[in-house]
Amino acid sequence: MRFAFVLGEIASGMRRNLVMVVSVVLVTFISLTFVGAAGLLQLQINQMKGYWYDRVQVAVFLCVENSTSESCASGPVTDEQRSAIEAKLNSPELSTYVDTVEYESQDQALVHFREQLANSPIVEAVTADQLPESFRVGLVDPEKYEVISEAFSSEPGVDIVSDQREYLEEIFGYINIASLVALGIAVVMSVGAILLVATTIRLSAFSRRRETGIMRLVGASKAIIQLPFVLEGVIAAILGAAIASGTLWAVLRYGGEWLSREYPQMGFISTQELLLVVPALFLLGALLAGASSLLTLRRYLKV
Amino acid sequence: MIRFEQVTKVYDHKSKPALDSVSLDVDRDEFVFLVGASGSGKSTFIRLVLKEDRATRGAVYVAGQNVANIPSWRVPRLRRGIGVVFQDFRLLPNKSVFANVAFAMQVIGKSRAVIRETVPEVLKTVGLEGKNNRMPHELSGGEQQRVAIARAIVNKPGILLADEPTGNLDPTTSMGIMKVLDKINQNGTTVVMATHDDDIVNTMRKRVVELRDGSVVRDDAQGIYIGETTTTAAAG
Ligand SMILES: Nc1ncnc2c1ncn2[C@@H]1O[C@H](COP(=O)(O)OP(=O)(O)O)[C@@H](O)[C@H]1O
Ligand SMILES: [Mg+2]
Repeated sequence: MRFAFVLGEIASGMRRNLVMVVSVVLVTFISLTFVGAAGLLQLQINQMKGYWYDRVQVAVFLCVENSTSESCASGPVTDEQRSAIEAKLNSPELSTYVDTVEYESQDQALVHFREQLANSPIVEAVTADQLPESFRVGLVDPEKYEVISEAFSSEPGVDIVSDQREYLEEIFGYINIASLVALGIAVVMSVGAILLVATTIRLSAFSRRRETGIMRLVGASKAIIQLPFVLEGVIAAILGAAIASGTLWAVLRYGGEWLSREYPQMGFISTQELLLVVPALFLLGALLAGASSLLTLRRYLKV
Repeated sequence: MIRFEQVTKVYDHKSKPALDSVSLDVDRDEFVFLVGASGSGKSTFIRLVLKEDRATRGAVYVAGQNVANIPSWRVPRLRRGIGVVFQDFRLLPNKSVFANVAFAMQVIGKSRAVIRETVPEVLKTVGLEGKNNRMPHELSGGEQQRVAIARAIVNKPGILLADEPTGNLDPTTSMGIMKVLDKINQNGTTVVMATHDDDIVNTMRKRVVELRDGSVVRDDAQGIYIGETTTTAAAG
């Protein structure tokens, strides 16, 4: 009985307040979409880190004819120097840091170079002897790049030690900024949503003051009086969360598919990641609306 | 059933107290008229019994309990034991007679079966048989007040408070309402009725407590009341 009664009250309240309810749905939809986008971008960073940190390497480039660094003063790397470098990379002192060591000759470097810049006209002009040979070093812990850099940057025959992770960090930095911007918009929109829920509840409480006045007089409990109002806000917010989830799903499903086709090696997140984000959106929407309406009711619906 | 001990209520520190050190005892099954001119403190008395406001000084006891000691979450239980009717009826305009009365039971969680059984009984008590499906705007003022009374007593409260229930009604209709209130009192409900309608008070011959500027100036068993339009010299 009580349950049916509360449901009936919610339905009539939402009908009476339809325009406001629709506004709450829309505002929570927008704010939760941005919350979700921020979350998904963070997941994307994590995914890329997981994917790339296993694959990125420190490249130890060896001297070529026109290298300008001090350690290349004696000209292109000699066979002895190359052997010394390789031995040092495989030495027991470095074995706790170094996972794999691969040698890339100038010819292999040209092949990779051509692969990477397949559509660029400069490819034709570059020859193998212009590209440095290198050791590709996979690290046990990619954060320990400094160890290799310090050990080899002044080694005779080594031109430069370059950490590919730096490029990735730059990309992650951009994604991070995008995620922070989304989060900022989400915060502003959420404040808007909270205020709108508060206004809606206030109007709703005002339009039903006769009913609530009688409820008070005949001894209805605080919960029974307030619950329809709180649930009205929560239901509207959950509808907003549902639309936000649908939107994010569509973006991941179609946008993500397109990106994965264009950049197959990047490791984009898929709709699976929504399993983490969607429950959080529903919870957040319900909490926002619930907290906002409870605070409002304390002021406008004396019991 | 209701006991006021030196109760003072100050709404606004710049003006006189609405109730000034009022002491009063209303026993079980009593019918008491609370009379006095407009502004004498009658409604304030009723609000204090309901714990809609708290006394500035003194203590209010309802059914033996000091209402100041009732925590806010227990106030609904206090109010379930008290029915109230007002001058302006306060019906829900979009609900039928039956639904208006049923509302008071729904909101305290009574089952549908109990509601279906009780509401017609109560409507019969107040003389509204066969009017279940009327809407409030289809009823006369007297009938609307009967619906309000039915709603106030449907949960079988021990106390019925009526704040000028006949204030909007003509004398004949008012007497009809008084009969209903008397019947409810006969059935064992304590009734406190605030009014400044001297005809009604003088016809009913019940206990009369008169307030003037917030103080009890008279408390007569089977008393009369001479309203402000008549000269005070005629009293006695
Ligand atoms: N909510 C309130 N705030 C301030 N003053 C009030 C309030 N309610 C009543 N009063 C004052 O208290 C006095 C008693 O009012 P009330 O109890 O309503 O008298 P009655 O019901 O006998 O007409 C009046 O002077 C009135 O102006
Ligand atoms: Mg009054």
